[in-house]
Amino acid sequence: MIVVLLIAHGLLAVALLGAITHQALSVLTIAPSANGRWTFLNRFRGVDATAYTTPIVVLFAVTALGGALLYPQYRIDVRPALEDTQNVAANGVFEIKEHLVAIGLGLLPVYWLFWRKRNGPETAAPRRYLTWLLAFFVWWSFIVGHVLNNVRGLLP
Amino acid sequence: MKDSRLAIFSIMFGVIYLAAFYYDLALFRYYPEVSQFRWLRNDGLGVVILWYGWIATAGLASAAIAFAVPKKMAERLWPGWAWIIPTAAVVGMLIYERRWFV
Repeated sequence: MIVVLLIAHGLLAVALLGAITHQALSVLTIAPSANGRWTFLNRFRGVDATAYTTPIVVLFAVTALGGALLYPQYRIDVRPALEDTQNVAANGVFEIKEHLVAIGLGLLPVYWLFWRKRNGPETAAPRRYLTWLLAFFVWWSFIVGHVLNNVRGLLP
Repeated sequence: MKDSRLAIFSIMFGVIYLAAFYYDLALFRYYPEVSQFRWLRNDGLGVVILWYGWIATAGLASAAIAFAVPKKMAERLWPGWAWIIPTAAVVGMLIYERRWFV
C-alpha cells in the first residue's frame, strides 16, 4: 500500500511540476524572440496561464496530503537510517522541504485569489512573484523527494 | 483589494508556521510508532511528528487573525505584502536551517 501511495505521490508531483513550470515561465517579463519564431521556450510559455491555477491548487493540496500520509513511514524508517549514516544534510534538505510545503499550502488562497481574472493590473506583480515562489517550492520538493527516495543508490 | 481576508490568511500563515516551528507550538503531536495523536508531549511513545501540529496551529491562528481584522483595514492592504512577507519567512527559515549544513 505504501508503495502505491509513493508512486501516486510521485506521479501527482510530476503533473504539478509541469503545470507550475508552464505558468511560472508564462509570467516572465522578457519579450518573445524579435523575429517572432516559435521556439520551444516560446511555445512552452505561450499557454493560457490562468487555466493552470485551479489544477495547481488542487494538485499542490493533494500532493501535500499524499506526502503527509507517507511522512510517518519516512519518520520511522528513513530518517533514523540517515541519522545512523551521519547523513545530516539529507535530513536538512528534507526538513526544508516540509517547511516549504507547509508555507506553500498557506499561500494557495492568495495565489488563487490573485490569478482570478477579475483582479486588476495592480495584482500582476504579486501574481508573478507568488507563482515563482510556489514554483521554487515545488521544484525543491520534487528534487529532494526523488533524491531521498533513491538515497541508498545515490550515496555510498 | 477584494477578498483581502484570504490575503491576510496567507500572509500570516507562513509567519505563524515559523513561530510554531521555532517555539514548538504544535497544536497536537503524532506518534507514528503507536499511531496515536496526543495534545501533549509524551516521550514514552517513540519518535514524534510535529509537522501536522505546526500546520494546524498556523491554519487556525491565521484564520482567526484574518477574521478579526476589520474589513476596511483589510481592504487597504497593499497586494505586494502577499509575496514579500512569505518570501521573508522563507529566507528566515533557510537561514535558520543552515544548521544542517555547517
